[in-house]
Amino acid sequence: MAETFLSIKDVSKSFGPVQVVKNFNLDIDKGEFVSFLGPSGCGKTTMLRMVAGFEEPTAGTIMIGDRDVTNLKPNQRNIGMVFQAYALFPNLTVKQNIGFGLKVAGVPKAEIDARVQEMLDIIKLSQFGDRYPFQLSGGQQQRIALARAIAVKPQVLLLDEPLSALDAKIRVSLRDEIRSIQRKLGITTIFVTHDQEEALSMSDRIVVMHDGKAEQIGTPFEIYNHPATRFAANFVGTLNVLDAKVLDPRKGIVAIGEDKVDVGAEIDLSHHAKDGVVALALRPEAVSLGKRKGRDRSVTGTIADVHFLGSVIRMRAKVAGANLLVDTFNDPDQAPPKRGDKVDLTFAAKDLLLLND
Amino acid sequence: MKKTRIWPWITMLLGSIYFFLPLIATLEFSLRMKREGYSLEAYRVVLADPRFRDTFSYSVIVAVFTILLGVLLVVPTAYWIRLKLPKMRPVVEFITLLPLIIPAIVIVFGYIRMYGSNSVLPFLGTSRGTDLLLIIGYATLALPYMYRAVDTGLRTIDVRTLTEAAQILGAGWTTIIARIILPNVLIAVLSGAFLTFAIVIGEFTIASLLNAPAFGPYLQLMGANRAYEPAALAVISFVITWGCMSLIQFLSRYAPKSATTPQH
Repeated sequence: MAETFLSIKDVSKSFGPVQVVKNFNLDIDKGEFVSFLGPSGCGKTTMLRMVAGFEEPTAGTIMIGDRDVTNLKPNQRNIGMVFQAYALFPNLTVKQNIGFGLKVAGVPKAEIDARVQEMLDIIKLSQFGDRYPFQLSGGQQQRIALARAIAVKPQVLLLDEPLSALDAKIRVSLRDEIRSIQRKLGITTIFVTHDQEEALSMSDRIVVMHDGKAEQIGTPFEIYNHPATRFAANFVGTLNVLDAKVLDPRKGIVAIGEDKVDVGAEIDLSHHAKDGVVALALRPEAVSLGKRKGRDRSVTGTIADVHFLGSVIRMRAKVAGANLLVDTFNDPDQAPPKRGDKVDLTFAAKDLLLLND
Repeated sequence: MKKTRIWPWITMLLGSIYFFLPLIATLEFSLRMKREGYSLEAYRVVLADPRFRDTFSYSVIVAVFTILLGVLLVVPTAYWIRLKLPKMRPVVEFITLLPLIIPAIVIVFGYIRMYGSNSVLPFLGTSRGTDLLLIIGYATLALPYMYRAVDTGLRTIDVRTLTEAAQILGAGWTTIIARIILPNVLIAVLSGAFLTFAIVIGEFTIASLLNAPAFGPYLQLMGANRAYEPAALAVISFVITWGCMSLIQFLSRYAPKSATTPQH
């Protein structure tokens, strides 16, 4: 069993009358990569800054290993951090930037030089050691910033939206590189992002944050396939949400427009329903056109749009006045439906999500 | 040439004449000390005068200490205001502008009243005390220029993120200011330093009323009693000032470049 290394207990933070982080709890294992995912203003960066020591929690404790770091200054925590704006020191060369933390710690020069070279090799930028930050591209600067952060062998690595200032192609390659380096060195890492693709592709676990709270904590698979709340479902991936009238809660029968659907489970009215209506969620890829093995529930709809995206065809169907997105793989032997076609949209009961509000 | 292009040239020509003609006249006059023709006699006399060397070296030393005091006062203040108290910026800017509003003569009369030999703090009772007061007075006079220069320098870097990046790497405040902030605003600090130098070298009011052996009162003394030497001194002062300005321009080429606009 993995051991908890970083523990955030009942942490809250207020700026004046505004509470930006509310009773946040999280245990992170050693070597784990955890992402804080949420929209702007959800408190994810504030939570990260409290772990770094740049903000002091209004309540709660933060433990790293056996040490309570809640009230320690940032320079006493042995944490590495990569910032969105790179934050390389413009007056220092790449080598001096990477070696800065070691020099501050009083490490002998020979040892600094060796460690800096090791870091340059890891990020594959050995030939740029004597350049200044302004002579590097954004992607290169961020790799140097990563090398600088890990050169001091930090206990925890914090990544504050490190990819958001980069262009799309570099973002993808750098996120793979960051993850690979993190795995190789086994550093416990917290990654803050508002980009669900980054969070899903890089993380061991994701904390979906909303309005200062951890809305859901789980693996990318759990978060994507079993979102616990309407917010988590909407924020992560594309999701269809259909309002359905509950006809028989014990048998799990609901009405979506004219169609009766068995959701395959008892509906707890007090938990899921509001005024006898439940919110059912379905991923676009969980819906098919016509009969498909294992997809034995159906509703009727009218095709409103068809977007041919190459390997995937995305359709928007109108179902009981709501939009239902359907993703299917392109089949060269079968033409997609046209606008206005009436279609049967099928799905499996297990893919239906009953959302909590 | 188009008709519309003529006016800017005429304006520039008139401006140049207005600016350069008195300088050329002063230079020409300073070279006419000997009746037989142009010579550097006035400069030789001035440079050979021990009072020139004494007052000039005194003012240079005072300028160096004024710059040190200004840097020690302004750099941490401007840095702290940017980092922790951004709402106080207008207040601090107003305070730093006060020396432009309050004439030097008011400041120096205040000093004489506050720090006279019969006061509780008799700075003016000793020559070292007078020197100290003179340095403080000059640092005050140079405050608007030094603060603006440093503040502009700080504006070109992301003070908060750089500070946090240094902090998380283990650096304390002294290391952050000395190794990260100061080197990145060094050119701005030098700009302020050279402006301070130019102010101190030519200042008359405070030095004269504090009876300090400075270059400004010497210039006035020569101007009141000699014909050609004051012109030579004016040219020397002008060369020193322009030398300072040229150094600012020259050194600004070596400013650390911002990393927020990468190459490609």
